[in-house]
Amino acid sequence: MKRFKKIHIIFIVMFCLIFQFCDPLVNKFEDTEDAQMYKAKSIQNIPTSAENLTFMTWNIRFGVGRLDWFGDCCGNKVIVGKHDVYANLEKVAELIEETQPDIIFLQEVDVESKRTGYIDQVQWLLNNTYFNYGSYASMWEAQFVPSDGLGRINTGTAILSRWKITDATRIQLPLREDQDALTKYFYLRRNLLKTKIEIPGFDDFWGLCLHLSAFSTDDTKERQLQRVFSELEDLEDATFVIGGDYNLLPPGADSLDYCDEDKCEDESFHKAGDDPQHKEGSYYVEEWDWLQPLYDRYHPAVPLAEYLADEKSYFTHTTKWDKGFWDRKLDYIFSNLTWIAGSDSTYQDACFDRDLSDHVAVSVKWEVTQ
Amino acid sequence: MRLLKNFLIKIILMIIIFSSFAFSNNNRIWSAGTAYLLPSKRFEVGLFQPFRYGISDKTEISFHPIAMFISPNFSLKKSYTEFNGFSMASNHSVFYPTFLLKTIAMEGTGGILSPEFKDDIPQMFSIYNGIILSRSLTQDHLISFKLGLNLAVRFDDIDSRTTIDLPIVYSRLQVFYNGYGLRGGVDLYGKLVGKLNYLIDTDLFLYPGADESMAFEHKGMLLLNKSSKIQISCGYKLIFGSYPFGTQWHLLPVFDLQWGKN
Repeated sequence: MKRFKKIHIIFIVMFCLIFQFCDPLVNKFEDTEDAQMYKAKSIQNIPTSAENLTFMTWNIRFGVGRLDWFGDCCGNKVIVGKHDVYANLEKVAELIEETQPDIIFLQEVDVESKRTGYIDQVQWLLNNTYFNYGSYASMWEAQFVPSDGLGRINTGTAILSRWKITDATRIQLPLREDQDALTKYFYLRRNLLKTKIEIPGFDDFWGLCLHLSAFSTDDTKERQLQRVFSELEDLEDATFVIGGDYNLLPPGADSLDYCDEDKCEDESFHKAGDDPQHKEGSYYVEEWDWLQPLYDRYHPAVPLAEYLADEKSYFTHTTKWDKGFWDRKLDYIFSNLTWIAGSDSTYQDACFDRDLSDHVAVSVKWEVTQ
Repeated sequence: MRLLKNFLIKIILMIIIFSSFAFSNNNRIWSAGTAYLLPSKRFEVGLFQPFRYGISDKTEISFHPIAMFISPNFSLKKSYTEFNGFSMASNHSVFYPTFLLKTIAMEGTGGILSPEFKDDIPQMFSIYNGIILSRSLTQDHLISFKLGLNLAVRFDDIDSRTTIDLPIVYSRLQVFYNGYGLRGGVDLYGKLVGKLNYLIDTDLFLYPGADESMAFEHKGMLLLNKSSKIQISCGYKLIFGSYPFGTQWHLLPVFDLQWGKN
């Protein structure tokens, strides 16, 4: 009997050991870790000096353009064919070539996802534009997501630059707390991508890219912003630009409730008995001033007064492109140096007419001599 | 690939070492994967292993009882006279995955395939025909060689986006995308001490002409034969395969509880 008991213990220990060595299904990430570095297939024309620098932020919606994707626009498509993804990436590259940003902050870039044919979009964009260096930080990396046929996914934020990126860190942002444990395990883990870039004329330049939670119904975005602030405070003596999809409206925005605009055919909100009362990611009432500290401390690409004077011209997002034009601003660039006045561009027409994404590219210029 | 090569060399060396002992083993119970068949009227079934039943001393049938309802499958194993000291059996199986694939093409949690493909999965089934040769190396050790051809019959085109890019699953469903495939392998089975046995199993899946053309699977298990009625097994499965995203190694824990009765 004793020997059999020993054998049972051996079995259990062996099973536990093997289980321990198995790859986890989902990458839960460290608090901070090195981001992934990229380099274009061929390095071209690295400018040795810079006068005016153009920065751009753009959520490229994993290169699927205006596809009726199931996750964000009441669509029913999940897996996109490689051919369609390449065709849309070509159009994304085309706008980049036309607008010539020197550094671009990208959100929703897939590098190894079944939904986009496993195309490494960071590498593809580097190889098919003038950018030379890139860095990537995943916000969702799972060997398999057993929901809606998503399968394997690796998507996140990226920074592409003409100049060498010498340091890149992925900083974990707080997770949503309004989800059950299983959903939370498989769900997105938002990050702040922090890179040091060798721009001529700057000893200590940092480019940061972020993409805050889109569908949280609690204070997740506020907690994420606090983490971002603590990083920016560490860069007070350096120069930085931070761009991204903040999923927040500017303080003072005219409309804060987009439940009716975003609802799908079978959904109902705001009526007695509706549960939930508001659509996830469409109700900004409680978040109306969460961006105020950024406007107070740093220089926005679009000054708040200018935005409030003509909101529509600065809108960068919509979920219902078949029913109208851009209807809210979610994408921003801030810096601790001042921008060239009036140098900002919100590429509403180009992005809408060419079906490039559900977000508009926003750019702004800097005078290096400052 | 170098890691794989080193690993294969080690496996071959182990086979040679074990081959230096020549012996016979005619234990036909708990003998799945060998050329031996279950004795007539005996059945064995596991949590994850198929239900096997000895119809006669020369014929055995098997199927996965739970999976049977959503992915009908059936195998027939026939034994033949010995060939150059090898026990010989042929294995013939059929597998119909259409209903299963349509079932898991769904919205929300549990949606392994995208619901957009639900109506695009064609009627299809696969037929596998293979041969198994087994020979005792010593009184307590048995080696088995397996080789077979898998053919798929499909009544319409299948969208290449419907693959399930997971270890074990991908290599077994790839035949429906490629039309045919080869499967071969070597198993070592033997006694360690008392009622404790071991199983070392290697399988190679080849799909000539496909972009993702191979998968290698190796299993190492400890098997505790508590009696002729109960077997507990535990171990690991190591998989190296090519998938639409590239190649990847996986290490998975394996556990089973089997029950048998004459």
